[in-house]
Amino acid sequence: MPLHAWFMDLANSPLGHVMQTSRWGFAVVEMVHLLGLAILGGSVLVVDLRLLGVILKGESARVLGRDLGRLLIGSLMVMVMSGIAMLSEEAGKCYYSPAFRLKMALLAAAVLFYFTLHRRALLRTERGTPTLWTRIAAIISLALWLGVGVAGRAIGLL
Amino acid sequence: MPVLQHFCQILYNSGFGTMLRESNNAFSVIESIHVLSITLVFGTIAVLDLRMLGIILRPIAVTRIARGVFPITWTGFAISFATGFLLFWAEAAKSYYNPAFRTKLILLALVGLNPLIFHTTVYRRVNEWEALHIAPWRARAAAIASLTLWSGVIIAGRAIAYF
Repeated sequence: MPLHAWFMDLANSPLGHVMQTSRWGFAVVEMVHLLGLAILGGSVLVVDLRLLGVILKGESARVLGRDLGRLLIGSLMVMVMSGIAMLSEEAGKCYYSPAFRLKMALLAAAVLFYFTLHRRALLRTERGTPTLWTRIAAIISLALWLGVGVAGRAIGLL
Repeated sequence: MPVLQHFCQILYNSGFGTMLRESNNAFSVIESIHVLSITLVFGTIAVLDLRMLGIILRPIAVTRIARGVFPITWTGFAISFATGFLLFWAEAAKSYYNPAFRTKLILLALVGLNPLIFHTTVYRRVNEWEALHIAPWRARAAAIASLTLWSGVIIAGRAIAYF
């Protein structure tokens, strides 16, 4: 897969050019990325704490999962788009960054898990008390998303 | 020298402040925890605000969501405040002059005032409207103010590093 060539194309694209030369471009996109993070993190947290049986125990897990799922998808789109813009500023560096690679792997795992086993756990819980399996699903989900965040923070530090 | 500036200088010059500032990892680790704790604070507040605006979770009463998320919000706030104060300790003398830092403090004061007003007015009669799919206009106004101000806090907070 010509992955490296794609990264270089992104860096040389008009978007990359704007991000690399403008004084405030990166800062503004980073702020949008952080706002997306807050919303995404909040919706993951509330749903998974419900699955764990820590909060909102009396409420339908299905309703929480559906509505907060929309919020999660919406904020994920904002984060992916702002993320691509940030990537275009330093694509060459990110390609070789272990933190960036780890973040992408964890993100893929988190999204895949969200649409498969996590969804099944939500439907199974509905109004009932959480079982061992739904609890494990919630912990895996929290760990994966936290990992995405920590690895993301590390891109700028390593 | 103004009292506040003097205070900032004392913090900045202290052994602990200097240690944090000159450390290789401590500052970055604290900063990362500070950044990630916004999910606990703003993320949960946004869920409640969006419920009052009638955008999400309409079948669930406002008070039930508030009771559910507040412990997380306050935990997050305690983490943000503690880590934020450590970051300030390390850079206090610079923070004093930083326009983004000053803006952030003003926004934080306003964002604290908002629930104070909200809780002493329209929220006192929340049992009359908690089940409504869309909250009364004063509650919606508070929700919009909260979303705007918290976004401002995050934006100003990120801008601190650019000044």
